Parts: sequence; C-alpha cells; structure tokens
Amino acid sequence: MPKGYTGKILHVNLTQGELIIEEPEEQFYRTYMGGSALGMHYVLKETSAGVDALSPENVLALCTGVVTGTPISGQSRLTAVAKSPLTGCIGDSQGGGFFPAQMKFSGFDAVIIKGKSPKPVFLWLHNGEAELRDAAHLWGLTTGDAEDKLKEELDDKRIEVLQIGPAGENLVNYAALISMSNRANGRTGMGAVMGSKNLKAVVVRGKQKPEIADPDTFKELQKWGTANLEATGMDGFGKYGTPSVTTPQDKVGGLPTYNFNSGTFDQAAEIDGVKLYKERLRGHERDEQNRFGRDTCFSCTVKCKRVTQIDEGPYKTEAKYGGPEYETIATFGSYCGVSEMDAIIRANALCNMYGMDTITCGATIAWAMECWAEGKLSAEDTGGIELVYGNAEAMVQMTEMIAKCEGFGKILAKGSRKAAEIIGRGTEEYLITCKGQEAPAHMPQVKRSLGIVYAVNPFGADHESSEHDGSYKAFPERMEYIGLTKPQEKLALNKEMMRFAMVTQHLFSAIDSLSVCSFIYGPAWQLYGADKLVEVVNAVTGWDVDIEELLEVGERRLNMLRAFNSREGIGRESDTLPKKMFKRPLEGGRSDGYALDEEEWERALEDYYRLCEWDVETGHPSLKKMESLGLGWVVAENEALSQVVS
Amino acid sequence: MQINLELMGPLVDYLPDSECGQTKMSLNDESTIADLLSLLKIKQRVAVAVNGEQEKEMKDLLKDGDNVMVFTNVSGG
Repeated sequence: MPKGYTGKILHVNLTQGELIIEEPEEQFYRTYMGGSALGMHYVLKETSAGVDALSPENVLALCTGVVTGTPISGQSRLTAVAKSPLTGCIGDSQGGGFFPAQMKFSGFDAVIIKGKSPKPVFLWLHNGEAELRDAAHLWGLTTGDAEDKLKEELDDKRIEVLQIGPAGENLVNYAALISMSNRANGRTGMGAVMGSKNLKAVVVRGKQKPEIADPDTFKELQKWGTANLEATGMDGFGKYGTPSVTTPQDKVGGLPTYNFNSGTFDQAAEIDGVKLYKERLRGHERDEQNRFGRDTCFSCTVKCKRVTQIDEGPYKTEAKYGGPEYETIATFGSYCGVSEMDAIIRANALCNMYGMDTITCGATIAWAMECWAEGKLSAEDTGGIELVYGNAEAMVQMTEMIAKCEGFGKILAKGSRKAAEIIGRGTEEYLITCKGQEAPAHMPQVKRSLGIVYAVNPFGADHESSEHDGSYKAFPERMEYIGLTKPQEKLALNKEMMRFAMVTQHLFSAIDSLSVCSFIYGPAWQLYGADKLVEVVNAVTGWDVDIEELLEVGERRLNMLRAFNSREGIGRESDTLPKKMFKRPLEGGRSDGYALDEEEWERALEDYYRLCEWDVETGHPSLKKMESLGLGWVVAENEALSQVVS
Repeated sequence: MQINLELMGPLVDYLPDSECGQTKMSLNDESTIADLLSLLKIKQRVAVAVNGEQEKEMKDLLKDGDNVMVFTNVSGG
C-alpha cells in the first residue's frame, strides 16, 4: 500500500471520451515525487516537437505530490503543466486552496488530459471513480456561478472545482485555472489549454485520506510548525498576507512602477498590505478581519489569503472572489500608476470571475499605458479608452474587455509580446517579458541573481523559482543546510551568486515537484526550512530521502522543462531580460540610476550555464547531464531533441 | 538619544499605538541595533536599514537622529 500517494493516475482522452487508470510502481513516485516533474514525464512522452498549444495534441497534466492531502501546513498545492499558448515554451503553474487535497481524497494523484471533447464537458472524480459529464449549461458562466451550479447539480457543498472561466473559453493566452472562485493556477495560460479542449472543469470529492507512514514524527512536525509561527514571523505574514511587502519593496527601490521604469511609487502607502488589512478586509469595520477577512488552504495554520468585499459603487466586489496578493497589487497598481485600492480589488475579482492571470493581465495593461505615454497608442487604437498611467477606471474596464476579447481587449488578450508584434510602431521597446511572459513584481535591477533566473527559467519570468538575493546573507543557518556558505554583497552578480541561484532554483523546483507551498517550505524565511521538508516527506512516505535526493528531483524537473524547450528549438537566444533593463536606468527612490551591465550579465549567464552543465553556446542541457539525471529516455525518444543535445 | 523609527509590514504590530509603525524613540547612548530590537521585543529575523543604508549588522551602533527602518525578510508574493 503506498503511503502519501494514491498510486493512481488518470489518463483522459477527451476526443474519444476514454478514461484509463494507470498504477505506476513506487520507484516512479520516488523519481518524480509529483507536481511538475511528474507532469513533465507525460508531457515529454505524449507530445511531439512543434505541437500547437491550443490543439487537441497538447497534453495538460494536473498533478498533486506525495504529501498532498496530509494534515500539515503548505501541502495542498496542484501543478499544471502543458505547452504554453502565451510563450510557445513549456507552461507551468502552481495553485493552492482545498482542491488539491480533495483531488487526492477522490482517489487520484494526477490527471493527464489530451484530445478535445466534441462538446463542453466536466470531469467528475469521486472515491476512485471518474466520469465525463455534459457541461454545456456551464459554458459561459463566471467561476462563482459555475461552482454554485455544480454544487447544486451534484447535491454536495463539499465538492471542490478547478475550472476555466469565460477567459479560458475565449482562449485568452493567459487564462488561468481557478478553484474556490479565488485560487489560481495563474501563469502561462493553462486555462486556455483547458478551454481549447472543451473541458470546463474538474470536480473532485472523496474520502480516501492518504495514509502516513510515521504518524508520531508527523505529529511532531505539525506541532513544530504551530510552535514556530512567531519565531519565523509567519504569524504576521499570515495576518497581513503577501500585500505587506508592498511598502518595504518601495522603500528599497524594488517596487516596479510605471511599467518597470522606476522602483518607487509615490503613492505606495495607498496600496500597502497593512492598509488593505485595516481598511478593506472583510470585517474591518468591527476589527474582525481575522475571522472574516482571512482565508486559508487545506490544513494550513498560516492563513495568508485575503477576503475583500465592496458592497456598492463602480468597484463592487463579492467576497467569494477573494482579495489581491502583492503581485496583483503591484501589477494593477504601481505598474499602472494606479493608487485606488478598490479598483485593484475589483480588477483582481474580475480576473478570478473570468479566470485570468493577474500578473500578465496587469502588466500587459501597464505596457499599453507606456505605449500610450510614448505616443505609440491612441484612442483610435483603444476604442476611446484613455490608457493613461493612473487611470483606474480604464484599467478596470480594459481588464473586463480582455476577458471577453472585446475591442482592443482582443489584442491585449494575446499578452504584451504578441500585441507588440501586431501593433508594431516600436512598441516592443517597452516590453517587460522574458520568453513572452510578463515579469512579476521583483526587479532584476535590484535582485540581480533573480534576474538571471527570470531569463533562464524555462516558462518565463517567475519569482517563485529561486530564493531572492537578500536571503543568502539573512538566513545563514538555513543556507548552510543546502551548501551555501559564502554570502555576497548586495547587487553582486558573481559565480557564488550564480551558485546561490542554481541551488535554490533546484530546491524550489523540488518544491514544485512535491507540489508544496513555497511560502511554507523553502531555504530561507519560510515556516519550515529544507531540513524539515525532508522530514515531512519521509514521515509521510516512509522513504529515507535526504536533501541531496530532493535537490536532484528539482534538478531533474528543471532539465525536463528545459529539454521541452530545446526540442522546440528554443535555447540561449531566449534567455534574455527585457531590453529596457539594460538601456534605461531606473528613476527615483533607492534604486535611482540602476541599470544592468550587459557584459557583466552575459558573463554571469555563462557561469550559470557551466554550473548547470548546459551548453554555453546553445543553452541546451548536455546529454551527460540528462543521462546522469535518469533522463536519457527523453533524448532517445525525441528525435528533434537528440539533434540539439550532445 | 532619539531616533526616527519605522517598522514595516507585519512588524507594525510591535508598535500598536503608533501611526502605521512610525514613531520617535528614545534610546540609551551607544545603543546597538540588537538593543533596539530587544527593546521592541522583536524575536524573528529582520533586516534593518539606517539612513537608507541596508544590510546593517546587529552590533552596529545607532546615533541621535538616525532614521531606522525595520523590515521582515519575506521575499516572495
């Protein structure tokens, strides 16, 4: 009997309506652990080079990990992988809530989806059984309405629903998968992939709780987490949530403002997380935010999710659509020069209602605002909407138009890189994309090793794929556990910082393969350090993994993602940062004048490649590296890959 | 001596009576950053900037009129 995992993976062919259950050996789980690595096994096996991201041939894998569904903080996460319609590279996205744990209870570790249903359907997983059901009546509904209907139809309020909204149906290139109407697998357009398959939702319910190999140790680990909330600062993080980093980011010159042209926003105080807590979270009028304004994921003690509600006015928002994270506050706020918190709350809710990634949506609008400011766009292009920095009303209006693919929204629905190709006029100069994905709200000019990870990350710029620069010096004990003992000065971009980038990238990659939360488990400020992550995995599974084995799982997954891109012919030429980060010094605040030096940056990139054992000329993983990670089969089975990997 | 203190993010709760974590604070002469954090009863690991200069050490001395900002080290979001 497997411990932690169910041992069942469901394969769904929507074209034929075929459902097959696979029961892999234990070694398979130990090799990939779950999440992104497990999903990539199937994506690499079952897709061919050049596959169209929105075609039936693309494979969408939805994967939990070996500890998902056990009663400890930070384990209820689901990873989605497939080729991305936004970037043309591999797509990868994590999301939390209650769906991942409930999917495990329903009897499945992962669902691998291919084909296209002739009509809209939803997948219903319950107590080890799977069936496809008609979803024609759900097509076109917002996420909240569709979830209400499904609960009524299945006569069960405790089902969990992972679904696309109208944006996914409309194939918005950055459509998200949404659960609980407010949790998102947001990045890289996984919602558009699901929409292209006519799959409206995956609905789960079950009572198959995962067995735990060592319950006594597990209990001790649970207690350790609760006892260390204050010492790690995670009690405050839970109370004020990710938005609480807004003002600190601004003070150090790291809050992207006016489409990344500045690291400071003179109205940052208006969009800060403490203000959000005190003046906007549900229950604030009675000082009862902790009861009504915070939400959580399955079995998590940190409780960092926000709940907001606006009862009237143009930005009216229902509580079920949650509240904005820091990333959302920055992209719809400081990126766009918008300081009205209610407008940001509304834009966040629209993204959750229609199913879109808030980062790419906000950043794409910010890009259009810079184009407007530079005279490259006018009311003639936008249908009269004035996309001026600071115009909150226009920002919210454009968000809805994107979801519905209406007017100028139809162009922005493709993401800023493709929009720049359509519009021309030199608008690509203002892009802040890496591999076609818009940069999240941490600045490569300020966090320089993070900038390298933005560039090399196979699915585009991402802030949760490595630890950020300052943590190396701030958390020496935890860093030592993963072999990092030589902290460097601020802004350093030397070989040791590249080692820091790579090692922490491997750890975050393992975290995304175990499919656990990177706020709860990590190498630095998180509740549990990497040592405790090892203990949790062993207590649940009964295995005897050590940190080296977990880091290798992370490295394996990173090389699988990378190999997917290599197979598409995508290598070093795509490992770049937006031009403006080199050419245009930041203006104002603590980072005034900061710009990246191209020569220094390229040298660091090559140091990183050498550490990864990737080809310095092409950026492709070496055959030796692939084989050492047990990935020789990926090269052998893919002719296009075998031609570029040596 | 007196310093201008600003606690950022969740740390505002260590100064419940202040205006958004900002206050003037009197300290003994030759107080260090560690002394300040001890006085505030902040036990978690934090970062401190003095007069805009980041990455200060716990043993660093403060002086009259310093502008001190205290941050958490959270870096995700």
